[in-house]
Amino acid sequence: MAIIDVRNLTKTYYTYRRGSSFSDTIKSFFRRERTCVNAVHNVSFQVDEGQITGILGPNGAGKSTTIKMLTGTLYPTSGHISVMGYTPFRDRNTYVNHIGAVFGQKSQLVWDIPPVDSFQMNKAIYSIPEKEYRNTLKELIGMFELEDIIEKPTRVLSLGERMKCEFVMAMLHKPKIVFLDEPTIGLDVIAKQKIRSFIREMNRQGVTFILTTHDLEDVEQLARKVIIINHGQKVFDDTLQKLKMNLGAKKIIRLVLAKPVAEIKLEGIKVIDRNSDFEYTLEVNLENSSINEIIKRLSEMCEFSDISIKELPMEKIITEIYKTTV
Amino acid sequence: MLKKYIEIYRECIKISISTAMTYRFNFILDNFIMLVSNTLFPLVTLLIYGSGAEFPNWSLYEVLLIQAVFTMSTGVANIFFSGVLWATMRHIIEGSLEIALIKPVNCLFFLIASTVEFSSLSLFLGGGVMFAIALSHIGPVSILMVLQFLVLFMSGVCVMMGISLIMAATSFKWVGNSRLPEIFDSIKYFGRYPQNIFHKTISGFTSFIIPVAMIGYFPAAALLGEANGTAFIAILPCFVFTMGGIFLFRHMIRLYEGVGG
Repeated sequence: MAIIDVRNLTKTYYTYRRGSSFSDTIKSFFRRERTCVNAVHNVSFQVDEGQITGILGPNGAGKSTTIKMLTGTLYPTSGHISVMGYTPFRDRNTYVNHIGAVFGQKSQLVWDIPPVDSFQMNKAIYSIPEKEYRNTLKELIGMFELEDIIEKPTRVLSLGERMKCEFVMAMLHKPKIVFLDEPTIGLDVIAKQKIRSFIREMNRQGVTFILTTHDLEDVEQLARKVIIINHGQKVFDDTLQKLKMNLGAKKIIRLVLAKPVAEIKLEGIKVIDRNSDFEYTLEVNLENSSINEIIKRLSEMCEFSDISIKELPMEKIITEIYKTTV
Repeated sequence: MLKKYIEIYRECIKISISTAMTYRFNFILDNFIMLVSNTLFPLVTLLIYGSGAEFPNWSLYEVLLIQAVFTMSTGVANIFFSGVLWATMRHIIEGSLEIALIKPVNCLFFLIASTVEFSSLSLFLGGGVMFAIALSHIGPVSILMVLQFLVLFMSGVCVMMGISLIMAATSFKWVGNSRLPEIFDSIKYFGRYPQNIFHKTISGFTSFIIPVAMIGYFPAAALLGEANGTAFIAILPCFVFTMGGIFLFRHMIRLYEGVGG
């Protein structure tokens, strides 16, 4: 069942164009050219309850603007948004009781005091009963192993520790939907894994997540559905599997040869990298041949000492989609 | 609902005090500087009267009373809501207003509550001491005069709140208008003098257009038994300023566009 329904969502704003040269800067003091920016243009999508949906797009694509409109913090220029039956920008005060949000580049924690004091503030804001607050807090800090952290001033915490506390802050009132705007930005591998495990666990408990990110691993490990936005327009909206098939049924084969060969030339195989006469990276198209046949043909052609088969990297899929929608 | 808002305000005050206690020396220094810089002006008044000069028909302690009320009003404003202007400006420039907007509370209330600032406590207390000294040198004060004083004092606080909100609201469109508060401060200072020393046009302006006379002069005049119709009519523009500030701020939130992610 769709918990989020977005139809023909558009956000337009005006900005002033100013040249880059010094004379342009001076001219702009007297006269500025007003330009219209279509940050989000005619975007429609639906998100089912209990789903983790990744919103992808290059910088300036309109991802954050979309998520801000979904949280009710930005007014759309036109279009329809319904989240759990609420119109976010119109019913903001009631609606935000049911959602949580983590903005990777903006902190809800008060810088000079320990996170536990900021949590107390959210307890008051969301009117969380004392017993429920204690239980939820205990559960959340246990999941993130934050027992020794939450009483230190926020300013002395590492970025990873702060981000975990941001998640605790966003989850204290048990929201049904959580919006994550680049939640793993700048984090190390361990912190990212911890946060991804947390998101998975919360999702198992029924929380719906909407996630914008540049980190494709976030999407690969978490999202079942992917929406790609470029230049303010939706260019893809389907499952992760469909996204991976977007450039056709392709795989990457890395070969280490026992004996060098002059050239590897077979139908459905493209050499995409060659480190030496012994090391090749191949892109194979599986539309007309199976992986079994491809390996058989390769083994007839050359003798190899090692072979690895991988999925087409997400970066390549995404880059191709971005390029085709410029 | 009221209980929830009281609880939030209590938490905000706790956070403000915790923050102040974290940087103890800064807190003490802030209070000291605030006290010294704002009580220097009444010292100038003492020097003027000490040298034999005076404001016509105004005794030293009557003038000191006006300036004490002005200092106390400014102290109250600085503690409870002046921070909203700078917080709003910072949120607009950094595009971080979402942090306030995702809370299920009135955004304006939350910004005001979260910017409670106790570094002006000394200003209010210093004004209070001056007020007590000046009051002890003027004639008896009736209960009616005290009630009039309280109503006019609150109206003066409302003017400052309205103007703070109007300035904060303009920053949604006019990003980085940091000199605007300085312009208002210059106008505000008219409120710490007896209004009858000014030309009628100026005193009309400070009573009804931008009613800064309500910040110091009118409430003090009530304690001196000189509150006239003008003072009570001037409550109306004070009310208009406050309501206008709240309305404008709430309207401007709709225009918030954030910054790039």
